[in-house]
Amino acid sequence: MESNSIIRLNHVNFYYGVSRALTDISMTFGKNKVTALIGPSGCGKSTLLRLLNRMNDLIDGTRVEGEILFEDKNIYAPDVDPVEIRRKIGMVFQKPNPFPKTIYNNIAYGPKLNGVSGSEMDMLVEQSLKQAVLWDEAKDILNKSAMNLSGGQQQRLCIARALAMKPDILLMDEPTSALDPISTAKIEELIEELKKDYTIIIVTHNMQQAARISDETAFFYLGNLIEYNKTEKLFTKPNVKQTEDYITGRFG
Amino acid sequence: MKWRYLKQHIFFAMVRASALIIALALGGLVFYIVYNGIGAISWEFITKPPTHSMTQGGIMPAILGTVYLTLGAIAVGLPLGIASAIYLTEYARQGRVVRLIKVGINCLAGVPSVVFGLFGLGFFVIFLKFGSSILSGSLTLGFLILPTIIGASEEALKAVPQTFREASLSLGVSKWQTIYRIVLPNALPGILTGSILGIGRAAGETAPIMFTAAAYFTAKLPGSVFDEVMALPYHIYVLATAGTNIEATRPIQFGTVLVLVAVVLGIDLIAIVIRGFMRRNKRW
Repeated sequence: MESNSIIRLNHVNFYYGVSRALTDISMTFGKNKVTALIGPSGCGKSTLLRLLNRMNDLIDGTRVEGEILFEDKNIYAPDVDPVEIRRKIGMVFQKPNPFPKTIYNNIAYGPKLNGVSGSEMDMLVEQSLKQAVLWDEAKDILNKSAMNLSGGQQQRLCIARALAMKPDILLMDEPTSALDPISTAKIEELIEELKKDYTIIIVTHNMQQAARISDETAFFYLGNLIEYNKTEKLFTKPNVKQTEDYITGRFG
Repeated sequence: MKWRYLKQHIFFAMVRASALIIALALGGLVFYIVYNGIGAISWEFITKPPTHSMTQGGIMPAILGTVYLTLGAIAVGLPLGIASAIYLTEYARQGRVVRLIKVGINCLAGVPSVVFGLFGLGFFVIFLKFGSSILSGSLTLGFLILPTIIGASEEALKAVPQTFREASLSLGVSKWQTIYRIVLPNALPGILTGSILGIGRAAGETAPIMFTAAAYFTAKLPGSVFDEVMALPYHIYVLATAGTNIEATRPIQFGTVLVLVAVVLGIDLIAIVIRGFMRRNKRW
């Protein structure tokens, strides 16, 4: 895993104002792996996820210490443009958030600003929708508003939209927590498919989901990384008592 | 009947009466204007300049002048107001400076319009040597409606869900592109809704254009933005207070008022149509 890592955190601390949300986190994320971040609400797992594509920059008064290396470059170095980072590290949010545009234009929005157009764009839209397993449902209504889609379809559209930027990494912040079980199953199948080409880091409240879809799992508690291991190992034979207590439902 | 039901009935009756009084006041006003003014309206009245020392003829130069001044005020106030609101809501770090600026804007909204007129006279007409002209009047009216437009724009920008911004930024789209492509298009209908109030005010104000743009009488139509124009509100003021024969021109005065109201509604209607057009596909 060490040799095949794509992101490495070295002694990362993160603060909202004066309150510390993450304490001395060091970990690596494997390339083309699905890594799940689990832990009770407020444990810092979403904060960590949003650190990886610098989305926390949007909040006034936050501060990062330590290094986050992406392809051996610290993404918090002063000469790094967060816009470039976000192009390579895409994100899917908890609540489906399509733009109030057509399905086609939702996907074309990002690539268009990078100069993609015409038939090249048509192909990219089709390819992205196919990757997100939405093509069959959407191909006849590409010019209809994305707001008419169901919640599960909207979330797959958001995944397609992120994939259209051809990122290296896909961050997912509880992508199924607002969806029904059938839509959730579809997204989980999709994640399984996507990990061939992408590195996926997913925050989830649902431990069964983490166990089903991830290769590695990291358990966070009160801003600390408690345990980080192969998913199978972490869920069957955790090394730390706190992990065991959490996954067996004794707290959280 | 129990006392609290009685209280409820009394309260409802008061609220209902308030709404009714407002509706009646508006209806009465409109009826009064139409009743007294409709007689003066004719094709000649809206297409010909005044004649016989403004006691006969039409008011076409004043209609045109008001339309020019209002469009000019929009051209000045809308871009400036939207840009200020974008700065205040999207870029500026929320803190004491922004609060101070907002207090300033609110104070600006409370400044009497005659003060704007004097400012326009001192700054645009005399200092910048624009003279009494469409340009000076438009700039003065533009500043007058600025607080309304900034306020409306701020509200509309804030109403655009934060998730849209996040989604756009997470795709590696820059902040400016996000504002330009996502936030602004979704805020524009709201911005226009609020700005309609400002537009109506710009068309109807007398004091700001008195010293900066309006002519007592000119049959000549403006050839450039540096010409002065007649304007409906000022024309009404002149006819009603300083005309050559105030009593005899009453019907013309009411006719002019009716036309002014129609022009304001017309401009509002255009804004509403544009808004409706932009709102398609814009629900979330």
